[in-house]
Amino acid sequence: MITEARQPPGGGIGIAVRDLKVAYGGTRVLHGVSLDFAPGSFTALLGSSGCGKTTLLRALSGFVPVESGSILLGGEDIARLPPEKRGMAMVFQSYALWPHMSVHQNIGYGLKLRGASRAEIDAKVTSVLSILGLAGYESRKVTALSGGQRQRVALGRALAVDPPVLLLDEPLSNLDAKIRLAMRHELKSLHRRLGLTAIHVTHDQEEAMTMADEIVILDAGRVLQKGSPEEVYRAPNSPFVAAFLGADNVIAGEARLDGEALAIRLPNGGETRMPAARRVEGDCIIHFRANAVHFGAGSTRAGLRLAGRITQSSYPGGVYRYEVETPAGRFLVDDERRANPGEAIELLIPTEEMHVFPAGMPSA
Amino acid sequence: MPRPSLFGLLLVAPALALVAALFLWPLGHSLMAAFTLNGDFSLAHFRKAFELYSNDIVFTLLIIGLSTLLIAVISIAIAGVLTLSETGWLVAVLKQLYRWPLFIPFIVAGQCMRTFLAKNGMMNNTLVSLGVLDPSMTTSFLDWRGIVITFVWKQAPFVILMLAGAMASIDRSTVEAGRNLGASRLRCLIEIVLPQVGQTLLVALVLSFVTMLSVLSVPMMVAGSQPTMLTVDMAFRINAYGDYPTANALGVISYGITAIVAWIYLRHNLRQHAEGGR
Repeated sequence: MITEARQPPGGGIGIAVRDLKVAYGGTRVLHGVSLDFAPGSFTALLGSSGCGKTTLLRALSGFVPVESGSILLGGEDIARLPPEKRGMAMVFQSYALWPHMSVHQNIGYGLKLRGASRAEIDAKVTSVLSILGLAGYESRKVTALSGGQRQRVALGRALAVDPPVLLLDEPLSNLDAKIRLAMRHELKSLHRRLGLTAIHVTHDQEEAMTMADEIVILDAGRVLQKGSPEEVYRAPNSPFVAAFLGADNVIAGEARLDGEALAIRLPNGGETRMPAARRVEGDCIIHFRANAVHFGAGSTRAGLRLAGRITQSSYPGGVYRYEVETPAGRFLVDDERRANPGEAIELLIPTEEMHVFPAGMPSA
Repeated sequence: MPRPSLFGLLLVAPALALVAALFLWPLGHSLMAAFTLNGDFSLAHFRKAFELYSNDIVFTLLIIGLSTLLIAVISIAIAGVLTLSETGWLVAVLKQLYRWPLFIPFIVAGQCMRTFLAKNGMMNNTLVSLGVLDPSMTTSFLDWRGIVITFVWKQAPFVILMLAGAMASIDRSTVEAGRNLGASRLRCLIEIVLPQVGQTLLVALVLSFVTMLSVLSVPMMVAGSQPTMLTVDMAFRINAYGDYPTANALGVISYGITAIVAWIYLRHNLRQHAEGGR
């Protein structure tokens, strides 16, 4: 529970969302979402488009009315407050800078609304611009800035009011790939420095993994899993999460609990034993990442072994990448050894890369 | 390329001829008549016009200036509600109602206002029957106030139409960003929405100003007495005395007023371009 959360030295305040339901014109978009955002944490809301991640962010900021449920900011329920009374600063996907104002006016506007003096505003704008590497840009028109610079001004505008909570609505998706990578690190280090609570909406798995301490995976208006990047990557709790995070190769098999171990058997041969992360009995599906698979010959790792034939090969650098045809389907395989198309090989799916779920669990 | 341009000239020739025959030629004729006396250049007609009608020139400017100001305030308010309100029924009702006056001609509007604003008109009768007003306190609004009310009622919808359209097309998230940082909806309207549609507002107000300057029926029907507007004076000079030169001089003065407004608009437009704005 976050209700006892106090403002830490850094300035972040915790948020507790309880059974939040949101509907657009009769269509329910969020079906009772409950989440805790720890003070000073960086959480990524991850999901494909239409999963409700942006709606959740807009419900937090007050732009979509809440049907039922509560949003506790430091213990106070703000679910029914208008956006201007919530004190959360948001960075918009389109930047939403005010084209009729200069950089200085854009960044200083929030302070002006709070009744800060001209000298206070000047000092704050100068310090924000220097943090963002835009010192000296005060009098520029925002329409004369590049995409990356606009993004920084939008971020500066949000940070200038020292918000306890920073909401980021896909702020990097309109940037060039190179600037996007740089901004990821800048945002992350800014967050660490300022200690505010950040909630970041993205559909980019890599962006979520590299930036966030906590990842929330949403689908169809429900939270599927919440955990650290390692947790959700290594131990997805559902076929959807596994597939969404790249483990989208599926083999059907049969599982049997044997004490603490799980015995897996494939219909056309191949079996292995693994620690039972989940109690599965009977028909099951096994999710795994294609690039976690390698050639079985010479390897002593435990796992499922499949006979297959190489259909394609390429060398993207470091290791060779093969496409292998097996009775269970085609997979991409990375291996250091050189092999030729047409060659028969044995594939190994290591047990620690296998995510086993009961058959019939909804998949992506 | 002489051949295509000759062909192009042929294509626009009928339109040019019409403009020349129906607008430029009479305009030149009027200007000539305004500035000449017995074939010589003279300002006598202007002297006469100012002697007789300087009050009406000021009256016209005040009426149209006040109307434009009221139109601006009302249009900003209504277009603001249409754009920023979260009360669905209010927006729906306003959207349905505000356009109606656009489809009513000035002369009909003037006629309606006569019966609505008179001492025993519908407005006073309603107020009396509601007990708001005592029958002895009723006054006729059929003077300068009637003209202003009619102009505002007739022209505000036009400005709202343009302004609400412009407001609807600005990036909605700029408003959300303002509210997110703590601005109320009123502040968002004034400090974030309005500056982004200022150009449209200015154009709509200039067009309204020029339209109102040329309306004859409303001042004629709503307020018959002196002082009155320049259009009425022009009609009077022509109909009563056949005095075209003085009427033309008054017309040139109207042109002058329009030219000042147009100059304000153009200067603003040029400054915007110089700043690299829209």
